[in-house]
Amino acid sequence: MGGLQKKKYERGSATNYITRNKARKKLSLSLADFRRLCILKGIYPHEPKHKKKVNKGSTAPRTFYLLKDIRFLLHEPIVGKFREYKIFVRKLRKAYGKANWSGVERLKENKPSYKLDHIIKERYPTFIDALRDVDDALSMCFLFSTFARTGKCHVQTIQLCRRLSVEWMNYIISSRSLKKVFLSIKGIYYQAEVLGQTITWIIPYQFAHDHPTDVDYRVMATFTEFYTTLLGFVNFRLYQTLNLVYPPKLDGQGEISLKSEFEEDYALDSESYTEKLSALSASLARMVPTVEEEETQLDHFPTEGDDLEKMEVREKMEQEQNTQKKLFEGLKFFLNREVPRESLAFVIRCFGGQVSWDKSLCIGSTYDATDETITHHIVDRPSVDKQYINRYYIQPQWVYDSVNGKILLPVEEYFLGVTLPPHLSPFVEETEGDYVPPEKLKLMALQRGEKPQMEEEEEEEEGDEEEEEDEDDEEEDDQSEEEDEAEDEANLAEMEEKRSRGKKLSVKVTPGKVKAENRKRTAEEEKAEEKRLAIMMMKKREKYLYDKIMFGKKRNVREANKLAAKRKAHDDASKADKKKKKKKC
Amino acid sequence: MAAARRHKRVAASQPGFLPLKSDLDGNSSDIKRRKRVNKNKKKNWNKYSDIQDVEEFLEDVRLQEKAVGGLIAEKPDDSLFFVDTGEKDKDTQPQTTVKKGKRSKPLRIDLILRPDSLIPAPKNVLAFQQPNAKKQRRMAEKAAKLAAMGVVPRREKLLQLRRAAAASGLSDKEKPVANNNPERAFYDLWSAGAPETADPYYLEQTKKKLVKRPDRLNEKPSVLPAIEVVAPGASYNPDFFSHQDLLREAHEVEVKKLKAEEKLKRQLAVNEDIATKESNFKEQVEGLIEEGDSEPEEPEGDAEDTVIGPTATQEKKTEKERKKEKAQRIKELQTKAERQKIDKQQQLFQLRSIRSDLKKQEQRTKMRQAQRKAKQEAQKSMPRRLGRLKFQAPDLDIQLSDELAGSLRSLKPEGSILKDRFKSLQKRNLIEPRERAKFKRKYKLKYTEKRAFREIQ
Repeated sequence: MGGLQKKKYERGSATNYITRNKARKKLSLSLADFRRLCILKGIYPHEPKHKKKVNKGSTAPRTFYLLKDIRFLLHEPIVGKFREYKIFVRKLRKAYGKANWSGVERLKENKPSYKLDHIIKERYPTFIDALRDVDDALSMCFLFSTFARTGKCHVQTIQLCRRLSVEWMNYIISSRSLKKVFLSIKGIYYQAEVLGQTITWIIPYQFAHDHPTDVDYRVMATFTEFYTTLLGFVNFRLYQTLNLVYPPKLDGQGEISLKSEFEEDYALDSESYTEKLSALSASLARMVPTVEEEETQLDHFPTEGDDLEKMEVREKMEQEQNTQKKLFEGLKFFLNREVPRESLAFVIRCFGGQVSWDKSLCIGSTYDATDETITHHIVDRPSVDKQYINRYYIQPQWVYDSVNGKILLPVEEYFLGVTLPPHLSPFVEETEGDYVPPEKLKLMALQRGEKPQMEEEEEEEEGDEEEEEDEDDEEEDDQSEEEDEAEDEANLAEMEEKRSRGKKLSVKVTPGKVKAENRKRTAEEEKAEEKRLAIMMMKKREKYLYDKIMFGKKRNVREANKLAAKRKAHDDASKADKKKKKKKC
Repeated sequence: MAAARRHKRVAASQPGFLPLKSDLDGNSSDIKRRKRVNKNKKKNWNKYSDIQDVEEFLEDVRLQEKAVGGLIAEKPDDSLFFVDTGEKDKDTQPQTTVKKGKRSKPLRIDLILRPDSLIPAPKNVLAFQQPNAKKQRRMAEKAAKLAAMGVVPRREKLLQLRRAAAASGLSDKEKPVANNNPERAFYDLWSAGAPETADPYYLEQTKKKLVKRPDRLNEKPSVLPAIEVVAPGASYNPDFFSHQDLLREAHEVEVKKLKAEEKLKRQLAVNEDIATKESNFKEQVEGLIEEGDSEPEEPEGDAEDTVIGPTATQEKKTEKERKKEKAQRIKELQTKAERQKIDKQQQLFQLRSIRSDLKKQEQRTKMRQAQRKAKQEAQKSMPRRLGRLKFQAPDLDIQLSDELAGSLRSLKPEGSILKDRFKSLQKRNLIEPRERAKFKRKYKLKYTEKRAFREIQ
């Protein structure tokens, strides 16, 4: 056999990967700088398929990068800046050591800095790309803006984060794009739909942090550095789409009314404007002052058949969204001082409500507690001394639940001192057959426009209601032509029963009647027949799969039923307890 | 030297030459008798030629030059002589010299330092030579030529620009703003600028255009969403059942951890048979007490066993045996071949079962393929092993039923969002899990008691 002997690890996967240390040396950067560069450029470590091959026979766990990625990094201009910065630090240290103060001054004046604009443009070639990745940026910015200025990170970074997050909130308010809010024990989750993109972010509760020690602050600061730049550009563009002035300016009339004699107590003159912005109580100035927006009607294009139906559905959706956007319009809220002001103000303003608070609580309050036109007073304490008769005193959860339910919920359950109904997560999407908590069912009923009954009646009827709803669901599904085989089978059974009944009836001779629902029923029958035939025509293997799916669905339903029964038992037990207590009392 | 020689020829040959020293002539008259030496040797030239007169003459010339600044013979007469017209002048002169003397009389130190010779010091040629004179001259010529054509050099141009900027009140260069400056300005990054018209190769070479980012890098390393919303049970005021679900989940995690811990403990446990006094004694005594029957028998058996094995005494096979074995082997092979043949024929009748076998096999491979694919899909959302440490999922944040707050005011937040974000980054394979570097002291601390401390004691 001729030919040269092939050497090991000179081709294949061994040459496609590079260890972290080698990459670092290739770029001649320190480890910290290398890590920062990778984060900024969006280059992540890889896990090779054949580690032993890549690691040249060793099985020691290492961090690998793709060699091509590192080659790509070699072209990055900020690598040079990192090196420059290293040298700058060295010189500065030397100057300090020699007590060469003029040298220190001069060096500090010429401190090298770098820009991330080109990296953002490179990583997100279009604006939508950037918007898709803004979740992370938002969470990070909101998180960093709540940090205490204790030296865990630069004060400037905190200020920038605060500015950007306030800008974002102001944008969401003026575009009215908030969709969901969820108060968890961790923090508050928000979801908004911005230019067709669903964006979720989390905000920590105020004053709620200890600094965990097992988090690498340097890494987080690097991410924040990148994300603040990204969020800044995104904000600019978003403000442009709404014709708002960037950096945000308060609307002219609002500004005048905001002025009060207590202003200097809260902030310095230099800061008061940003503070007022972050109070979220006034609307923003627009480039072109517009007249009150009129109802924009969707353009109608004459179309046929399928498209028309879709159009109708879409139109309906649009209308729903519009009504949701104006949920709190015309309502006037007043926040007591113990409720989370920023979150509530943000949510209320997102849906068009007016909001204010005590003058001494925060800057930017627009009216007093004594205002007669206030409709809702949000309080989070067992009782209030002085109550006005023409307003509701409610707990803050009402606002959030109403937003999630997309309707104004009845306020009775949220009065002062009342045990609140559970705060359900709006992020749970129940597929049919899952267990749905009764509170949600009630909510759904409310959404459909049914009147809430008295409590006791309701509880008795609860079981029935569920069944009804199941049926409703079935009908809806049929109409929407979804292929839900379980229901269709059930339908089929019903159909057959009906048919048999019909046969029995037909024995009697009766005067002919015109059946009103006949056409509809025949259509249904036809559909069911088709389905049955399709099932019959299935191959054995598919049939097996089909049966399996059906079985899984049935099992789900069974479990859900079990849970519902359990819940009922629990409720009954608790009710019995209550009654006992009442009797005792 | 050439000048000196010329003087000698010219001046000394002249009849009017006046030697400064008067004894010059006298010396030259009493010349000794010449000695005859071979002059074909160079050494002899110096040794035996008499150049005294020449030397003396030259010495004299030098002296004259030093003292007077030239040959006296060549000086004009009026510089050597003056006409003595009486003492009239002498009376007046001292008065004037006295008057001016105080002012014009040089200091003695200056007189001392004054060179004694009137010959000017030779000029240092190098001191007057310019380095690169030729090159510079040429450059100057070129600059002059360009200036004549109206081309301004680059430095001048920049200076003019700077001056113009200063005059118009704008700063000549904007200072770069730090990335975390809270007042920094943003602009429309994604607006379509003017399309590049320059040669792309030129732009790439001058680093005006960055290298294109490969598309591969825009794929996210994990399919997980950036923000994972917590389970509904983690609501601040949760529904009873979803809260129970969450608690159960957390409980399961805890149980798993506990089990792993127990397993580890079991594996690390020391064996139960710890040495007691009794067993220790037994060990010490072992072999000392004879136990009679069992011991003597064993070695015999051992010896027999060890003998069995290949030994030299094994008998050789006979020819007959060999033949027999060979026949046996051949027969076996034949039966095997026959069997195979029959089997093959029989397979014709097993076609159906073979087909079903094949089908089964195919099905199995398909199923495995599907499984593998599903596994790969699942892998996409799993954290990968990116370094020395494995990703460790953070603890579930829960509040027990009695910890739950009834209202938003009394809510105690659980867990840290910073940690949650950090873990999320790790989970999505954006960074590798690491642990904090431990502080390691390079040198041991030395313990010394200070005097003050000792005094207290």
